Amino acid sequence: MSLLELKDVSKIYGNLHALDKVNVQVNKGEWLAIMGPSGSGKSTMMNIIGCLDKPTSGEVWLDGVDISKENNKSLTKLRRDKIGLIFQQFHLVSYLTAVENVMMSQYYHSMPDEKEAMEALDRVGLADRARHLPSQLSGGEQQRVCVARALINYPEIILADEPTGNLDEANEEIVVELFRRLHADGTTLVVVTHDPEVAEVAQRTIVLRNGHVDHEHVNENFTGHIKYNEEAV
Amino acid sequence: MTRQKMYFRMISASLVRRRSRMVVALLAVMIGAAILSGLLTIYIDVPRQMGAQFRSYGANMILTPVLDSLSKDDISECTSMIPESDVVGVAPYRYDTVRINERPVMAAGTDMEGAKKTSPFWAVDGSWPGKEGEIMVGKKIAELYRFKLGDELTAVYTSEAEGNDEELVDNEMTFVITGFLDTGGNEEEYVFMSVSDLSSLTGIDEVYDVCELSVSANEEKLNGYADAINEAGTAAKARLVKRVTQSETAVLGKLQALVLLVTVIVLALTMICVATTMTAVVTERRKEIGLRKALGASDNSIITEFMGEGVLLGAIGGIAGAILGFLFAQAVSVSVFNSSISFRFLLLPLTMIVSVLVTAVSGLLPIKSATAVDPALVLKGE
Repeated sequence: MSLLELKDVSKIYGNLHALDKVNVQVNKGEWLAIMGPSGSGKSTMMNIIGCLDKPTSGEVWLDGVDISKENNKSLTKLRRDKIGLIFQQFHLVSYLTAVENVMMSQYYHSMPDEKEAMEALDRVGLADRARHLPSQLSGGEQQRVCVARALINYPEIILADEPTGNLDEANEEIVVELFRRLHADGTTLVVVTHDPEVAEVAQRTIVLRNGHVDHEHVNENFTGHIKYNEEAV
Repeated sequence: MTRQKMYFRMISASLVRRRSRMVVALLAVMIGAAILSGLLTIYIDVPRQMGAQFRSYGANMILTPVLDSLSKDDISECTSMIPESDVVGVAPYRYDTVRINERPVMAAGTDMEGAKKTSPFWAVDGSWPGKEGEIMVGKKIAELYRFKLGDELTAVYTSEAEGNDEELVDNEMTFVITGFLDTGGNEEEYVFMSVSDLSSLTGIDEVYDVCELSVSANEEKLNGYADAINEAGTAAKARLVKRVTQSETAVLGKLQALVLLVTVIVLALTMICVATTMTAVVTERRKEIGLRKALGASDNSIITEFMGEGVLLGAIGGIAGAILGFLFAQAVSVSVFNSSISFRFLLLPLTMIVSVLVTAVSGLLPIKSATAVDPALVLKGE
């Protein structure tokens, strides 16, 4: 069953076609990696899927709603209710502790629940760092807080834009393992990455080039949660 | 946890954990509030302060007898109609002509302590008479007779003999000169002694011809006191020394208008300063606003959070500023008026409310413009 579908989606800035009649479909519970060189349209696609931007033409169906026709207020609500975002630069509020950053996401969604936020941090292995400010956490720990923040409201889909781009190898492995676990729990994942190692653990990869889907391939060796390593987190 | 608790947790965390940044904004609010509360304190206190200063220009109310003279009780009855806190000084006078070295001289009998208060501008070379048998001589009389301090002088009062209207009797008293009086007015041609001495010299009971009052009040209140005395049907008629009261009112009005003008200008400058600071605070948090929007925060939610910070900042700055403002007003009062002022508790909530409003209003515009940021752009660092 398709959770997300892009139909002939174009995004044009002046003469630049950042996306040009792109068609992509993501099924519920699927793990999709998006790859491509700089300027290929990855971020534009992420912004459109993440309800942060609207296409110039085409349709974007998310959980039965054509988000290309929605106004900004509705897009904000869709982001809040259906999407969990993970950024390359982490983007944590500097003066809130790890648990407060997670609770902030709950605050905008429904009702803050410190116990639940602590459980989310526990899932990413950061229960003992919950009262620390972002400046007191390593890059890997900050990204894990972002993962906890993204999953706290049980979103339909988690969008991660270069989630391991600022991490060392050890932390990259931890974050990838978290994605495996989320996927095993049934979460739909769309991960934009430059890193082939991160892309190859996804179920399917699409490669963008000059605003087009250049090619896509299914990872035959996808192991999903079988490779999940409890010790790594 | 309720949404309200999380809301307060977020805004208080922003102020407490970002204190090095917020201290600039807090200082801006605090200094503005301090100047505002200080100037308002001075504005409110100016009439009292200046009233006390004006009292150095002499009596502003005169009691004269409806019939021949005033008794001590008549004067007490009149002064009891004026609040004790407003009465600066009461100086009853009785005038009689005496002879000194065979020349007629006007002798004034008065309460020296009262006269000191109603006529603080009198310059006395030497000292005021402190006990019976002492006298203060006007400068011109002193020059005429070449008196020196400590000299003795004999005053003679001629009265009709008891039981015989035709016969005149001379009463004599000798006084020690304790001081010479320099006023630039008619008083320099008088001699001043205690009322009891004058009564002893003249053989007439302690009655008065006039009573000077120095009252710390504006023209309107003074008129009210005078009307009350006149309408009560006492033995005295009260009138105001128009020259003094009207100039007091005019100067006070101008001074208050000046302080008010400065207060308004300072308030405007404070608003500009706070608005600039708030703009800087909001601008540096564009990325955070973008993040909140990306996480699903509505514009109203972001405005409410930033306004909450502004209100908290305004309240803390307002309270601290009100206290600082009082200290500022106290310092001004002590150095300019030479007297202290009491803390006005009403100014505390008033300054706080004004500070909150100024911070909220001046923060509203930059916050509203900040909510227009495109989260996709700011999160990409553009």
